[in-house]
Amino acid sequence: MTHLALTDISKVYAGTTVVQDFNLEVNKGEFVSFLGPSGCGKTTTLRMIAGFEIPTTGRVMLDDADITDKAPNQRNVGMVFQAYALFPNMTVAQNIGFGMQIHKESKEAIKQRVEEMLALIHLETKGNSFPSQLSGGQQQRVALARALANRPQVLLLDEPLSALDAKIRVSLRQEIRSIQKKLGITAIYVTHDQEEALSISDRIVVMSGGKMEQVGTPFQIYNFPETAFVANFVGTLNTVKAEVVDPAKKLLRMDGVQLEAAEGLDGKGKGDEVTLAIRPERITFASVEEKANIFDCTIENITFLGSIVRIQVLAGSNKFFLDTFNNPFLELPKIGAKEQISCSKEAVLILK
Amino acid sequence: MKKRGHIWAWVIFAIGIVYFFLPLLATFLFSLKARLGVLSFQAYENVLRDPAFVRSFSYSVLWATLTIIFGILLFVPTAYWVRLRVPQARTAVEFITLLPFVVPAIVYVFGLVRTYSHPPLLIVNSPFLLVAAYTVLSMPYMYRAIDTGLRAIDVRTLTEAAQSLGANWPTILFRIILPNIRVAILNGAFLSFAIVIGEYILAQYLAKPAFGPYMAVQGQNKAYEPAALAIISFGLTWASMGIIDAFGRGRGQGATIAGGH
Amino acid sequence: MTQLEAVKRDALKARPAYHKMSWAWLGVMPFFLFAFLFLIYPASTIVIRTFQDSHTQALTLKNIIGLNTPFIKTAYWVSIKISVVTALGGGIFGFFLAYSAVRGGLPSFMRGSLMTFSGVASNFAGVPLAFAFLALLSPAGVLTGWLKDIGLNPYDHGFTLYTFWGLSIVYMFFQFPLMVLIITPAIDGLRREWLEASENLGATSFQYWRYVALPILLPSLLGTMILLFGNAFGAYATAFALTGGQITLVTIVIGAQLRGDILNDPGLGYSMAFGMVIVMALAITGYTILQRRTERWLR
Repeated sequence: MTHLALTDISKVYAGTTVVQDFNLEVNKGEFVSFLGPSGCGKTTTLRMIAGFEIPTTGRVMLDDADITDKAPNQRNVGMVFQAYALFPNMTVAQNIGFGMQIHKESKEAIKQRVEEMLALIHLETKGNSFPSQLSGGQQQRVALARALANRPQVLLLDEPLSALDAKIRVSLRQEIRSIQKKLGITAIYVTHDQEEALSISDRIVVMSGGKMEQVGTPFQIYNFPETAFVANFVGTLNTVKAEVVDPAKKLLRMDGVQLEAAEGLDGKGKGDEVTLAIRPERITFASVEEKANIFDCTIENITFLGSIVRIQVLAGSNKFFLDTFNNPFLELPKIGAKEQISCSKEAVLILK
Repeated sequence: MKKRGHIWAWVIFAIGIVYFFLPLLATFLFSLKARLGVLSFQAYENVLRDPAFVRSFSYSVLWATLTIIFGILLFVPTAYWVRLRVPQARTAVEFITLLPFVVPAIVYVFGLVRTYSHPPLLIVNSPFLLVAAYTVLSMPYMYRAIDTGLRAIDVRTLTEAAQSLGANWPTILFRIILPNIRVAILNGAFLSFAIVIGEYILAQYLAKPAFGPYMAVQGQNKAYEPAALAIISFGLTWASMGIIDAFGRGRGQGATIAGGH
Repeated sequence: MTQLEAVKRDALKARPAYHKMSWAWLGVMPFFLFAFLFLIYPASTIVIRTFQDSHTQALTLKNIIGLNTPFIKTAYWVSIKISVVTALGGGIFGFFLAYSAVRGGLPSFMRGSLMTFSGVASNFAGVPLAFAFLALLSPAGVLTGWLKDIGLNPYDHGFTLYTFWGLSIVYMFFQFPLMVLIITPAIDGLRREWLEASENLGATSFQYWRYVALPILLPSLLGTMILLFGNAFGAYATAFALTGGQITLVTIVIGAQLRGDILNDPGLGYSMAFGMVIVMALAITGYTILQRRTERWLR
């Protein structure tokens, strides 16, 4: 059932439209990420849910109650900030218990909940430390506990891991996700890191220039991007221009070579130009049996990325990247060699 | 907490404006009353034509300038040297530059007069003592301004580059370091200027015909001229601060407590 | 000997570091000489002569004991009182002023103007400041005149400018700006996320102030007020120009002592000055300690 609903949300600052036409329904217990580059409006939208910004148009509904005009201290949503925002004059325990202290809960109740929270974030011994004595990752966990201690209906996270080291980011995001699942709390997570969003979300909202580009599960977003922006932003992609030859038979011509796609040519006429995209891992060196979508190419560059080897080829006038798993015993082609590459017709994505 | 111009902020600001502008306004109005029954700039005319004004003002300007020059000559090489070669001296030097805050001007002049008015150190009437005393008074500001300026440029690398090109110490100091901390020096210079011009205590007790004592005498004898002098003095201070602002104030607390109050 | 061994041997030879050190210290000698001659020596004279009998040069505590007269005690008491009053008043209102300009949602040019004006006003002390307030509130002053015109002669009600409270009002003219200048960076340091986090957790603005902002700002506020105290304590010219030296402050007494032995014992002048230095040193120490606290939280 819909727990949090954003309807026709837009935000205009001094003549600039920062967010527009934002519509989303989030189910209880769902983990939704807002993913996009800086300035796409994801943080502004989050802050409108929190109450730090008021939408220019649209409504925010939480559990069927309209909270659009409610003050931020009346909403019972928990926020985790990018810069932790722990109160430096209070200990970890006092920080975590602050929300309950404001709501005038009993000392025993506060103490018990603080202990629960410390156990949840695995910092049982740090209750009496001050934030300045903790590492960045520890501080962020305390910030998470502080937001959760108040039993919010929704948890909002504003790029909580951007300020941390790469390794901590990976382990902490898993921890956040498992805590969220354990508590069954609805969560909205803002990030510009697509790997983060892909790995922990139930659904992702990809945003650009204040607009929603696509909403879907990580699988959908990655494998079936609907726009060029999504396709480019999430994962690496080869994009090429091609011309429609026969929309019914789904044939295209790219650089003189005939291509067959599986779908996506509805509404296009013969001669129309389209942009198509192919994921690098879906391109392989053509084996003898392949008949469809084969191109001649020249190897230009080979980059060793660890588990993946990325090969750059020139096919006609287009460059392609193809990714193949690293295999120390497999011989790779030499630079300058002429090869044939192919991809299946399902791998050809037509972008809007 | 909505942040669109709280009412209390406006109220507080209004009170502040009233408190600060009322005396200035009153002074200005008062200074216009020299001629009976009509508002005029008579008091200003009297002041500007008074030979004692011209004498004492130019005296103060002269000694302020000498103080600034002496300060530059003393503090720039020192700050440079401490930064580059003798960082161990840093704490001692910074402590010394902060001492004038701990010793109020009246106490300082008391010590100065008592120390230097008996032979063999009878230099209490020497002009050099005046420069030295003014330099001490402006030291916290002058030295810190210069030090801040040096901090902003990479002193070590500049020096090494100059040395590798064959420059000697005076060349390095005057043709490379000094030009690059010009703004910081000007900052300190205008602060020192404002301090010395308005300074009263040192000038009075070292018996020097400076602008401060001149103003005090006017206060005892005249009615409207002191108000005109106050406006002139305020204008001068404003001009000095304005010039500093124009050059960029840099690190915040440049203009705080001044000597002579 | 191999080349490597030769190089190592030469490296060991190039060791007279202590020579280099002493040449370098020569560079800062002019400064230390200057500081000694014109700051440390005169200051130490005060300290030494405080403990010396003015006639016999023998070591004695009598100058300090001699401070225990009603006249001198009054001077210290009045000085301390006016410093505390103007530190508190200047601190509190200066803080409100700074906060209004920084966080009060006022048009942004007002903050810049306040800073510039504060820079000027904090330097506009001494004789001209006294003139300004005389022009305002002396019996012949402009404001006095306006009030008389509407039938409210303050002097009829016992007000005079030449007293403790009159001087306090004048002192505020440089105390408010000083507070504004020094506390503004601290207010800037109050991160917006702290306010948002506390709102998010349900706190009202009052609760935010009580539990978060004020505790964080307290060391800075107290430290700056101590600075204001020191500032007022050492002030001389303003008080002198306003009251003609009639008000009993430690600075005024020392000044009078310079012009003639009004205490009937030159040694007392030294001990009064010494007492002032002690008070100021305590103030600066207190300020430094609190400043370190501030920097821990408001980096």
